[in-house]
Amino acid sequence: MIRFEHVSMSFGRRQVFSDLSLSIDFAEKVAILGGSGEGKTTILKLIMGLVKPDSGRIMVDGEDITLKSESELRDVRMKFSLIFQEGALFDSLNVKENVAFCLREYTGMSEEEIDQRVKEILRTVGVEHALELMPEELSGGMHRRVSIARSLAFCSPRMFLYDEPTTGLDPVNSDNICRLISDMARDGAGLIIVTHKVSDAIKVAERFLFLYEGKIVFDGSADALMQSAVPEVKFFVEAENVK
Amino acid sequence: MTEALNIRLKGLISDLQDFYALAFRGIRGMVSKPFYLADIIEQMDYAGAGSFVIIFVVTLFVGMALSLQLAAELSGLGLKMYTGMIVGISVIRELGPVVAALVFTGRVGAGIASELGSMVLGHQVDILRVFGVDPVRKLVTPRIVGALVMLPALTVIGDAVSLLGGYYIAVYVSHQSGTVYWSSIRDVLTFENVFSGAVKPFIFGYLIASICCYSGLSTKGGAIGLRQSTTKAVVISIIMIIVSDFILTRILLYVLGFSV
Repeated sequence: MIRFEHVSMSFGRRQVFSDLSLSIDFAEKVAILGGSGEGKTTILKLIMGLVKPDSGRIMVDGEDITLKSESELRDVRMKFSLIFQEGALFDSLNVKENVAFCLREYTGMSEEEIDQRVKEILRTVGVEHALELMPEELSGGMHRRVSIARSLAFCSPRMFLYDEPTTGLDPVNSDNICRLISDMARDGAGLIIVTHKVSDAIKVAERFLFLYEGKIVFDGSADALMQSAVPEVKFFVEAENVK
Repeated sequence: MTEALNIRLKGLISDLQDFYALAFRGIRGMVSKPFYLADIIEQMDYAGAGSFVIIFVVTLFVGMALSLQLAAELSGLGLKMYTGMIVGISVIRELGPVVAALVFTGRVGAGIASELGSMVLGHQVDILRVFGVDPVRKLVTPRIVGALVMLPALTVIGDAVSLLGGYYIAVYVSHQSGTVYWSSIRDVLTFENVFSGAVKPFIFGYLIASICCYSGLSTKGGAIGLRQSTTKAVVISIIMIIVSDFILTRILLYVLGFSV
């Protein structure tokens, strides 16, 4: 269980969250919706302990992660797989080296075993042909896939965290990525997807949170989202013309 | 007004505190595991081999210009034979280390700040942390080692090239004796002179790498933020080189027994 308890946070003079509280179960499929700059990505970073709140507590499996040091956070981070918007691949390494990064860092695997494992993971996400390509040679969709592959090489996560995974992709690629996201969560792993695309969120999530001015103004199912009378949510859904 | 000043002052103190912590952790990474040898070699190659040509060209012309100025001034006094000695002392003790450090800042320092800055903006540094890799050990320590090893080496090469440039002007333009020029250089190659020129590149290298790494890793706000952090890294490094050169010169002259 992930629990935010009265979390407040600001960047400089800009207040991102004030007294934010929420809880998400590890097995849930949650979409966090909201406009740009509402702090959606910051929620993912808070869960991973990459940033610390100004006040409040963030509990992961009953442990307050805001009190943990960088080395203590490693165990917490291994419960998740975080995929950033642009993929965040290391641009000096090719696809194979990106995926092999953690295998080299943390396992005693031989080069042959690493090769085998990398190919296996890349096959899972459908980019086994891109083994030798550099990140700048990949399309947006391939970037996301390789990023997912790299995170799978790190650990078997209990929950996937996706930061705007379909932003900047054409509809076909967006659809493919949504399908991959659903596939990844098939074995009981949960997911949190942060996005401003309601149509994509509906394809992968079952619970929807809407962030507005540092507060959650909506928390409910897809049907409730579509029929929400909350003005901000209503405008947002109508603007995308989701059916 | 007072509140704004207060916030700025707090920000400055916090920046300084973070910088010292990063510089210390960067150097601590050299003596404790894990070591990223491949990254260290890559950084040494980038900082050293990659800077060789530019250091060669710049120091050659600095040596020639210095020799030309001295020859012009000293010939009027009938003291042309001191050209080699003054070129030697200036280059070995002062100009060589400072010029090499300034060139190093422009090429390597700016590269470090912009590379780390774009890694921050592209969330690559966050991903390292997610994977349990300490970004200081992986990114900062190799760059500090690269600068600590390569700047002194480049300074030695730059000194030699400057002296050669000075020799060319003294002999072929000012028509002095080459033997006199080199014997004057030999005379100034004393322990005191060489030591005071050899200490500086280590300090400068450490300062440049630490400042540029810190500036790159604290990049915020897209392309404009990247431009600002790179500019800040270069400007602060240049100022620190000049200021620390003065302080070091004062200390070294005192320690080595020179009277001023």
